Amino acid sequence: MSCEENKKAARRSRSLAIVQGDPAGVHAGAQVPKPRSWRSLEERAGSAELSAAARREFPAGASELTDSVSRRSFMQLVGSSAALAGLAACQKPNEKIIPFVRRPEETTPGNPLHFATAVSLDGYATGLIVESHEGRPTKIEGNPAHPGSLGTATAFDQGMILGLYDDDRARAFTRKGQPIAWRSMLGEIGGLGDRLRANEGAALRFLGEPTASPVVADLRRRIQARFPRAKFFSYSSTASEAGQGAKLSFGRPLEPRHNVARASLILSLDADFLADGPEQLALARDFARGRTPGPGMNRLYVVEPSLTVTGGVADHRLRLRGSEVAAFAAALAHELGARPGFELLAPLAAAVRPPATAPWDARWLSAVARDLEKNRGKSLVIAGRRQPAAVHALANALNVALGNLGVTVAWGPPVLADVDIASGPPALWELMTEITGGLVDTLVITARNPVYTAPVDFKIEQLLPRVPNTIYHTLYEDETATLCNTLIPAAHPLESWGDARAVDGTVSIQQPLIAPLWSGVTEVEVLAAFLGEGDLGAHEVVRRYWQGQAGRFGSGLDFFEHAWEKWLADGIVPDTATKPEAVTELAVDGAALAKAISPLLTAARKAEGAGGLEIAFSVDPKVYDGRFANNAWLQELPHPITKLTWENAVLISPATAGKLGLVTGDLVEISYRQRLLEGPVMIQPGHVDDALTLPLGYGRAGAERVARGLGFKAGSIRTGEAPWFDGGATLVRTGGGYKFGITQDHWSMSPDGRTTLEPAVGTTLANVENEHSEFNEELEERRGMPPTLHKPWDYSKEAYKWAMAIDLNKCTGCNACVIACQSENNIPVVGKENVIKGREMQWIRIDRYFTGSVEDPEVITQPVACVHCETAPCEYVCPVNATVHSDEGLNEMVYNRCIGTRYCSNNCPYKVRRFNFFEYNGDVSGARRLGMNPEVTVRSRGIMEKCTYCVQRIERKRIDTRIAGRAIQDGELQTACEQGCPSQAITFGSLNDPGSRVSRLHADSRRYDLLHELGTRPRTAYLARVRNPNPELARSG
Amino acid sequence: MSLLFRPRHNTLAQISLFVLAAGAVGTLGGLMVYARTPYARGMQDPIEQPLQFDHRHHTRDEGIDCRYCHNTVDRSPHASIPPTSLCLNCHSQVWNKSPLLEPIRQSFFENKPMVWRRVYRVPDFVYFNHSIHVNKGVGCVSCHGRVDQMAAVEKATPLTMGWCLDCHRNPEKNLRPLEEITNMTWKPEGDPEVAGRLLAEQHDVHTRISCTTCHR
Amino acid sequence: MAASSSNAALAPRDPLDPRPLIEGVHTDRTINDSLLEHVWRGAGRGWWACFGVALSMLGLLVIAISWTLYKGIGSWGNNIPVGWAFGIINFVWWIGIGHAGTLISAILLLLQQKWRTSINRFAEAMTLFAVICALLFPLLHTGRPWFAAYWLMPYPSVQGIWPQFKSPLTWDVFAVSTYFTISLLFWYLGLVPDLAALRDSSKSKAKRIAYGIFALGWRGSGRHWAEYKWAYVLLAGLSTPLVLSVHTIVSFDFATSVLPGWHTTIFPPYFVAGAVFSGFAMVLTWMIPARQALGLKHVVTAKHLELMCKVMLATGMMVTYGYVMEHFVAWYSGDPYEYAQFFLTRQRGPMAGIYWLMIFCNCVVPQIFWTKKGRTSLPVMWGAAILINVGMWCERFNIVVTSLHRDFLPSKWENYAPTWVDISLFIGTIGLFSTLFLLFLKFVPAVAVTEVKELRHELEHDSHGPAIAAAGGTHA
Repeated sequence: MSCEENKKAARRSRSLAIVQGDPAGVHAGAQVPKPRSWRSLEERAGSAELSAAARREFPAGASELTDSVSRRSFMQLVGSSAALAGLAACQKPNEKIIPFVRRPEETTPGNPLHFATAVSLDGYATGLIVESHEGRPTKIEGNPAHPGSLGTATAFDQGMILGLYDDDRARAFTRKGQPIAWRSMLGEIGGLGDRLRANEGAALRFLGEPTASPVVADLRRRIQARFPRAKFFSYSSTASEAGQGAKLSFGRPLEPRHNVARASLILSLDADFLADGPEQLALARDFARGRTPGPGMNRLYVVEPSLTVTGGVADHRLRLRGSEVAAFAAALAHELGARPGFELLAPLAAAVRPPATAPWDARWLSAVARDLEKNRGKSLVIAGRRQPAAVHALANALNVALGNLGVTVAWGPPVLADVDIASGPPALWELMTEITGGLVDTLVITARNPVYTAPVDFKIEQLLPRVPNTIYHTLYEDETATLCNTLIPAAHPLESWGDARAVDGTVSIQQPLIAPLWSGVTEVEVLAAFLGEGDLGAHEVVRRYWQGQAGRFGSGLDFFEHAWEKWLADGIVPDTATKPEAVTELAVDGAALAKAISPLLTAARKAEGAGGLEIAFSVDPKVYDGRFANNAWLQELPHPITKLTWENAVLISPATAGKLGLVTGDLVEISYRQRLLEGPVMIQPGHVDDALTLPLGYGRAGAERVARGLGFKAGSIRTGEAPWFDGGATLVRTGGGYKFGITQDHWSMSPDGRTTLEPAVGTTLANVENEHSEFNEELEERRGMPPTLHKPWDYSKEAYKWAMAIDLNKCTGCNACVIACQSENNIPVVGKENVIKGREMQWIRIDRYFTGSVEDPEVITQPVACVHCETAPCEYVCPVNATVHSDEGLNEMVYNRCIGTRYCSNNCPYKVRRFNFFEYNGDVSGARRLGMNPEVTVRSRGIMEKCTYCVQRIERKRIDTRIAGRAIQDGELQTACEQGCPSQAITFGSLNDPGSRVSRLHADSRRYDLLHELGTRPRTAYLARVRNPNPELARSG
Repeated sequence: MSLLFRPRHNTLAQISLFVLAAGAVGTLGGLMVYARTPYARGMQDPIEQPLQFDHRHHTRDEGIDCRYCHNTVDRSPHASIPPTSLCLNCHSQVWNKSPLLEPIRQSFFENKPMVWRRVYRVPDFVYFNHSIHVNKGVGCVSCHGRVDQMAAVEKATPLTMGWCLDCHRNPEKNLRPLEEITNMTWKPEGDPEVAGRLLAEQHDVHTRISCTTCHR
Repeated sequence: MAASSSNAALAPRDPLDPRPLIEGVHTDRTINDSLLEHVWRGAGRGWWACFGVALSMLGLLVIAISWTLYKGIGSWGNNIPVGWAFGIINFVWWIGIGHAGTLISAILLLLQQKWRTSINRFAEAMTLFAVICALLFPLLHTGRPWFAAYWLMPYPSVQGIWPQFKSPLTWDVFAVSTYFTISLLFWYLGLVPDLAALRDSSKSKAKRIAYGIFALGWRGSGRHWAEYKWAYVLLAGLSTPLVLSVHTIVSFDFATSVLPGWHTTIFPPYFVAGAVFSGFAMVLTWMIPARQALGLKHVVTAKHLELMCKVMLATGMMVTYGYVMEHFVAWYSGDPYEYAQFFLTRQRGPMAGIYWLMIFCNCVVPQIFWTKKGRTSLPVMWGAAILINVGMWCERFNIVVTSLHRDFLPSKWENYAPTWVDISLFIGTIGLFSTLFLLFLKFVPAVAVTEVKELRHELEHDSHGPAIAAAGGTHA
């Protein structure tokens, strides 16, 4: 790689170090693994840059950022501005150019490469395509060939690029605090193994996470063979009980596979299936497809305690406390069971007495029941991860009775490898009792931070130190690390060899994009170490395993060599998806189910009787169970519903808040089962009454500098027997005036009662279909060429006329586009203090409006980035021509010309411009800079920035196609947000091509322009949100 | 009382006023002129390289095409400086004992990269792309000058934005047949204007002057 | 004969306002001495006290500026949507204050208002210093002042690009700098004969040389006077349109935008009226104590003050009319955004307090000048003047911040709170202003001596000849 360009890329990202990685060895995967390769010429030359990163004052995006304009960054600023002034050209060039000694074949310096790999969450895989510049991973995208991705990736997945360069990651192999080399540690483990084998590893325990990795499963088997009495446990604080539910209903462990594409009616029982769980990307895509207004449009009922993304797009939403969902499901079964054709449910109906005084409107329930009946065979009842097995069983029963089996839901053999080992909270409990009994000598922890996630009453904090040897394999020096005596830094997923499986069983080989930035090994290597076969390296272990499996896929001379290459290139191993099993009816009768249910109902009633508030824990959409807590991008990501950043809050309904005399920002002390928890209250419209929602994943106390001290630890009152819901909590107000970092202060589209047009248009299917409806007439006036005195510029002469269309009917507000944009465009984080001040930088702002009553509102989300007005108010006010219009209609922002008067932002009616109030990139670590996109300038202090329609992608594609002597085809050029959107709500293209998707959408009857009345002629058009309410239910969107 | 000032002081005052005004104007004007001098642009200043690589010898005497070494110029934004291994393609045979080439051999065998000095530099916020220029008929010589006559390469063009724009506004005079791209001496037959317009048509040249063409 | 003439001889008087423009019996010499006296008198304790305070405030300014340059605009309270706040408010406020001077010296001169004579120097100095304070902000409020400084200037750059002449900010650069230059020349030209007078009456040689250099060899010859007069009127003519143009163009910064509360055609006249309004208020604020301290009562008479009060009353009414029209148009246009801005955001929004304070100070307070008492009682008019300064600052806050913090899309409404840097900058500029002003009072005559002498002669002449322009001209 000629480092001329490499240098440039590096300087662009204000980086001194240049990662070479090991593209050849790593990517092709053909060669035998080389010794761990050096990562940067500096490192090779012995520069201190990378290690300096470790000593940095602040991590990227720490909230201290506000006050961290260090002298260094000040000098940087001066330096950069000198460069920006173009003065650099006046100085004698004294820069060095450092070319490769041997350039890897497939690299063309300056042109990025893309590699397929996969990452797992909760054990299930998402296939990814990772973009790599000069051997440095810079952007994560979905792998279209992968069933769990379909070309998009969640905010979590995309955020991992920041996690990779996070210099808070654990780096040192240590025993009892003493650094030790991996090889010598291998030796020790070997010795340990020999010692433990004496009694067949009776005192050897492994604590892992749910995983579907065949290699890991195989390693477990082989270890088990070597240590017959060793035990494996798997624990995850977020695991769903769907599996147990299946056991209940079908008698054997099966895993559900949902297919909303064929469902015209969906009933969600506390399931946030559009933004949570391993199927979310596929489900979101199919669900959105099913929302196309017209006869076939699907209908969604959601029953849930607090507003989720899925609840936000529901046609009808029922606020119900978590513990009451079971009762609702039972009552529904009861209602249906009484009908002909539901004999299956009859015994259940007979056995289950729905509560006399139901907390829901009976009309609502019967309407749903009738609707379900109408949609037999094309409906879907889906229960959430928080619901107990019995509720899942009920949902299964309903699906069976409704004839949905094999249509909208199928049951496959377990993909997770832990079916044959103890898993879940019981497993952890067993382990704890063993430790108490002194049965454990060596505990190998590959699970993510169990000390933080384990139920508080398991006392893991007290017990762990009792184990003589605790070997912890971890990405961060977190809470667990402090209690273990041997630390093995983990390699980041993007640095790891491994394999993973999607929900349908499809296998992906996980290949590293770069050699571990800091020391770090994979779980595979850790487990392999117990086989006493020496240091093979993950690549070899994985490859050997699959070589062994190759027979299943074909045969022939060096068949495997080619197959392996192909698997790596495609990101999936073909024909590894498992067939769903032919389950048609329940293995147990309704009565048995009823037996399983009734305790829940009584429990719920008891909680009711006990009075007090119900507490409900929730998985946080920003930091999950806390594992992403050190990711500044995700931390600053506004919560889809509350728009809260950098922390969690005690969510409570307006009515309950009123009853308790609380306002947002009050501090409360929650007492529950003799445990206390303090946190700030936030009133959330649409939250169920008499309940609190406590998001998990905050209040971290590990060594991670970003995560540390943000929010409160809900887990500190989370017990084993009530992992998700329980009644009987009380709270007292202890203070007030707490300031949240919220990116949107106002709920409504007219907070002060103004009579302006609503920015986010929502309506009902009926209105859309009726041509003469008020809705259609209003929209007619909100699009097209507004009256103007001067002749509009004619763009039709140009090659392209770039434009975007955003379909509010598909947007769920899941935030994937925001992270995609942040990653593509080197957008900095600003920290909580600046968010409070209203200085957040994300180019895409997902506006979230509540309509209807505050108690039970409807939600509408509207992504707003620069809409590229044809007559842009920002352009004529800029005194230095820093924002101007391109011949193809782009509203260009020229960073290096900007002097930062902020006049353009003042005059922007959409307020989509972002200003670098500080040197936000000044304290970005050396490591982080390696991951920045070299195609996009890193903006310095005092500069305005905004969405550019990913102009760097446009220009790149333009040059490629112009050299090839052809035009850019519709769809081959995608903006980052478009590419990242799971529900395909965003479409980008040229209006000069009448056949393009965007042209068609701009001609759609639901199309309207935001603030059309101002005559700005935006290039981004919106399509109105449509609800499909049940005519039976009065309340309609 | 005694006379404080004499008539000549008036002249003095006038002169000083004039000097003040002239000085202000002069400084500004001077700066503008300076910014346009080759010196300020770092031109006409051969850069000493750690290893005496003589372009004259390689291109003129040996007739090696530019693209043999700068081999990504037509498919990447960057022309790229060749890896050491490429030098040794020839120099493992030719001059493989020459002390002059010791650094190269050292680099190769110790796997230590060569460290050259940069000659052409555009600011970080300028996204120049070699491939599109080369593929649309802009020859090396147009920007890099007669490299075949430089013992040590020097910057031959000012690389100011104004200079870029001149060509982007009317590129004709800098166009040539694709097969002549690396030819340092090629001249169009007949009227360059006409030839230029013809080539622009052949290569389907659409120069752009929108800001984001170069600044992103 | 001038010496013999008594004050009583200065008749006939204006029947409506018999009070003289110069009180007491004076000769050229007495006027000279009385008006130069405060320059020769050593700096008193009072002066040093004020100067000390002013200097410390100035120090605050220096700190705030360096902090801003070091940390960035982030150290201010600004955000998105409130991209402009204290910086621009102060800019507009100071520019406004800078209007009285030129108005008095230029326009009243052309209108031959005799009463301007004894206050014009004072007011012009004020203009100058106010504009200096104002000039700080346009530069300081940019994200990268080091570029703003020269990219705003139209010059042939090697990049081949120019400033954006469609942008009002570019117009500002020219408008304000021109205004500053002209005001400076005008002020200095008027100062020349007095500097000569100072030179001649200086005791020490050093002082004589110092003043001598600045007097540019003025000898008071007929030719000098002829050219002086000619240049003076010319400059007056030049600055007259500027008085109107500067604030008109400043108002374009807002008027040309699309923002509800900015986007209105009434801004130019209403800004100019407001400017004169605040300008006179500021002059009064300083004049009342100054005439006391410097013993200028005989030339800056109660009559002067009263006339200024009348001007404030008039301009105050214009400003009020401006407010009324804004609201009327907002309602009558039927534009829901405009309506919301004026009737919801400003009156009931989180910043309503400042709105109502503005209404009180700018519309209610001036009404007191309807009464003779209000126009003659020093404490009353002084208090009123200060309140009006406050009111005019609030007006700019309303226009800039209140309009910005709630515009079109409720999703991006944000509140605004100034930081210590913002406040220090504001106080600091007041410090800068005071410092310059105190120095001015110390080193040059606060009243145009020659003009006063001239005026005395004219008045005398009038008193002998037929009563032409009645002195004092109540039709001011």
